[in-house]
Amino acid sequence: MALIQMEMSRRGFLAGIGLAAAGVITLTACGSGSGGSSGGGSSSELVMSVWGGEVDKAAYQGRIDMLVKKYPELKVTLLLIPSASYPQKVQTMIAGGKGPDIMEVAENVNVYSSKSQIIPLDKYVSSAKLDLEAQFGPVGKIYSYKDKVYAIPDRSGAMIVYYNKTMFDAKGIAAPTAAWKWDDMLSAATELTTPGVWGFGGSQWWPEWWSMVYQNGGAIIDTKTGKPTVNSDAVVEALQWCGDLMFKHKVTPTNAQYADMGPDMGGDQAFAAQKIAMNITGFWNVGTLAADPKIEWDLAPLWQQKKQAVAAFGSGLAISRDCKNPDAAFKAIAYLTDAEAQAVIITSKEDVPANIAVQQSDTFLKPSWMTKPINMAAFPESTKFVFKSPFIPEWEEMQKAFTDGLAAFWLGTQQAKPALEAIQSQLESIIKPAE
Amino acid sequence: MAQALAEPAGTPATRAPRARGRRPRLTKRRKQEARLFYLFISPWIIGFVVFLFGPMIASIYFSLTDWDSFTAPAFVGVANYIRLLTNDPIFWKSLGNTFYYAAVSVPLSMGIGLWLANLLNKRVRFRKLFRTVIYLPILVPIVATALIFKMVLAPTTGPLNRFLAVFGITGPAWLLDPNSVKPAIILLSVWGAGGATVLLLAAMKGIPTEFYEAAEIDGAGPIRQFWSITFPQVTPIIFFNLIMGLIGSFQVFAQVYILTQGGPNNASQMMVPLLFQEAFSFYHMGYASAISWMLFVAILMLTLIAFKTARKWVFYENEVAH
Repeated sequence: MALIQMEMSRRGFLAGIGLAAAGVITLTACGSGSGGSSGGGSSSELVMSVWGGEVDKAAYQGRIDMLVKKYPELKVTLLLIPSASYPQKVQTMIAGGKGPDIMEVAENVNVYSSKSQIIPLDKYVSSAKLDLEAQFGPVGKIYSYKDKVYAIPDRSGAMIVYYNKTMFDAKGIAAPTAAWKWDDMLSAATELTTPGVWGFGGSQWWPEWWSMVYQNGGAIIDTKTGKPTVNSDAVVEALQWCGDLMFKHKVTPTNAQYADMGPDMGGDQAFAAQKIAMNITGFWNVGTLAADPKIEWDLAPLWQQKKQAVAAFGSGLAISRDCKNPDAAFKAIAYLTDAEAQAVIITSKEDVPANIAVQQSDTFLKPSWMTKPINMAAFPESTKFVFKSPFIPEWEEMQKAFTDGLAAFWLGTQQAKPALEAIQSQLESIIKPAE
Repeated sequence: MAQALAEPAGTPATRAPRARGRRPRLTKRRKQEARLFYLFISPWIIGFVVFLFGPMIASIYFSLTDWDSFTAPAFVGVANYIRLLTNDPIFWKSLGNTFYYAAVSVPLSMGIGLWLANLLNKRVRFRKLFRTVIYLPILVPIVATALIFKMVLAPTTGPLNRFLAVFGITGPAWLLDPNSVKPAIILLSVWGAGGATVLLLAAMKGIPTEFYEAAEIDGAGPIRQFWSITFPQVTPIIFFNLIMGLIGSFQVFAQVYILTQGGPNNASQMMVPLLFQEAFSFYHMGYASAISWMLFVAILMLTLIAFKTARKWVFYENEVAH
C-alpha cells in the first residue's frame, strides 16, 4: 500500500502529466532535430530513398546494381522506407539537413518543389539531351512546378480495367474496350450483377473518379488559372454517375457491403475473390492474379465519355537540395529511367516502367512470369490518354477535403452537387494559386 | 465507517525517516550517497532535458510561427491560436470528439475494470486462468485488435450486429456511420479494461481480512462490504486509473488512425491524429505545435479538476492515522 501511495503523490503525478504531454509535443518537435544518417562523405556516394516492400527492394536494388556496374565511380545506397511512413521520414531527414540525394516522389512532389527542397532538373535534362515527352509520353513533365521539371518519371501505370472472363463469357458480353461509353459500361455492369456478385468494383479513390471527371470534360483544378473547379457541371455529373452506380443502379458494392465481406476489403480484393466482374485499379493486382490459377481474367484500357482520359499512378525520381553532387545524381537517374534499367521494373513484377519503349517491348508485353496470355498492351495503350493530375503543393489537404466532403456522398446520404459546392469553397481557401 | 475501520491499521512508522532527512549537515557517507544518486539519475535527467524538455520549450516557440519544417519558421505571434479557437471547425469537432471519447471510455473502462477485479477476487474456479485471459487483450498488438474489431463491427455480417439482431435490434453500420463511429472506438478502448483490473486486484488482495470479518459480525452483506470496505480501500488505485485513463484517452491515436483515419467527415477525428495530420501530412508544424499546447492545457485542466475532487472521495490510510 505504501508503495502505491508514493506513486500517488501529487508531485509524482504532475511529473507524469508533464511526461505524457511532452510525449505528444515531441511528436511535433522531432521534425526539428532528429534525422536519418545519410548524405555520405565522398561526393559520388549517393543515398537513394524509395518506399515499398520486398518486391520494390529487389527491383530497385537490381537496377542500382546495373547502374554501379556501368558507372563504377558511383556508389549508391538504397534506403527503403515502408510506404506509410515515407513522407514523415523524408520530411525529418530534409529538416535535419540530411535529405537523401535521390528521392522517390509522387503526387506530393510539389510540397518539396514549392519549398525548394528538390532542385529543378531542366538544365541537366537539356545537357543530357533527354526528350522527356518522347521517352515517357504525356507523363513526361507531370512532375513540374511553375514550368520547371523537378522529377523524372520512373514508374507510371495508368488505371486499368480488370475483368473476370468467366463472368463475361457466362453472360455472353463482349470484353470491355477503350471505345466503351459510360452507358455501355453501365449496361454490362447491370447484366453482370447477380446476388452476391457486383458488376463493378467502384470508383471512390481519386484516380478512379477523377478519370470520369476528365472524360466528361471537367477538371479538378483549372490548368490556366490554378483555381479549383470542382463544382462545375462536368465534375458534378461525373461524380453523380459514379455514386449512382452504387445507390441507384446498385451495380457496385456500398461501403457497408464491402465491410461485410471482411476487414480492409475493397475492389482489388473483391475482384480476386470473384465477387465483382469489373474493377479499375493500377498494375499492382497483376502479379497476384497471375499467380492465382482459379480466376480467368484479362485487362482492358478504361472506357471513355466525351473524350478519353485516365489517371496514371506512379512515381518519379528527384534530387534533393542536400545533394552534394547533383551531376552524379542525375547521371544515376538518367540511367535508372533509361530502357535497360527500366526493364527490371517489369521483370521483377514491381510496376509499369514509365519508359514508353519498355512498355511497348516484349519484355513488358509478354513477361516471363506471366502464366496466361494477358493483354498487357492495355497499359501502353492507356499511356496515350493519361491526363495530367493537378499535383499541387497542397495535395494532401486537397485529398483530405475530398475525403471529408464526400464521406456523406459515398454513404448515399448526400448528392454530388451540394457536396462538391462545399468542397469547392473549402478548396478555394486551401489553395493559393501559383502566380 | 470506513475511517473507523481504518484506524487500527495506521502506519506512523512511515513518518519517521522523512523527518530525519531534513537534517541540515550531511555526513560524508550521505554526501557520497547524494553523488551516487545524481550519477544514477543523470541518464534520465539528460534524456528528459534533451528529448522531452528541450523539444517542449522549442514547441512553444514553434507554436508562434508559421513553419513547414523545411524552410525557416516565420514568427506570427498568436495567429495560430486565434485561428484554432475562432476559425477552425475541425479543431473544435476533434476537441468535442476527444471529450466525448474520454467522458465515456474512462468511466466505462474503470467500471468494468472494478467489476472484473471484484469478481476475480472471489474464490471462483479457474481464477488464475480468468486473470490471464482478462489481461491478455493488453498484450495483443493494437493493429491486430483493430483488424478483428473491423470484422466484429461489420454492418450485417459482423457478430455484434448479428447478436443485436437476435433481439430484433438493427445495429448501426458502426465505423461507417458518423453517429456510431465514436461508440465503436470506445468499444475498442473497453477491450483494454483488463489493465486496470490487474492493479485493482492487487489492491484488493492487500485489504486485511479482519475488516471483512468485523463487518460480517456487524451484519454487513456482500454489497455493503463492497461499498464500505473494498471500494474505499481501492480508491487510490481508482484515482490512479482515472488520471492515467484521462491522459491516455486524450492522447488516443492508434485506434483512430487504424480504424477510421478520423472519418467519416471527421466524426471520429481526435486531437492527436489531428495534430499528426497537420504536422506530417500538411506540413503545418507551427499550427500542430499550437494544437499540442491546447491539448496540454486541456489535459492539465482536467487533471487538476480530478485532483481537486480527489480529497472528497479518495481515501488514504495514513492520512487518517496519526
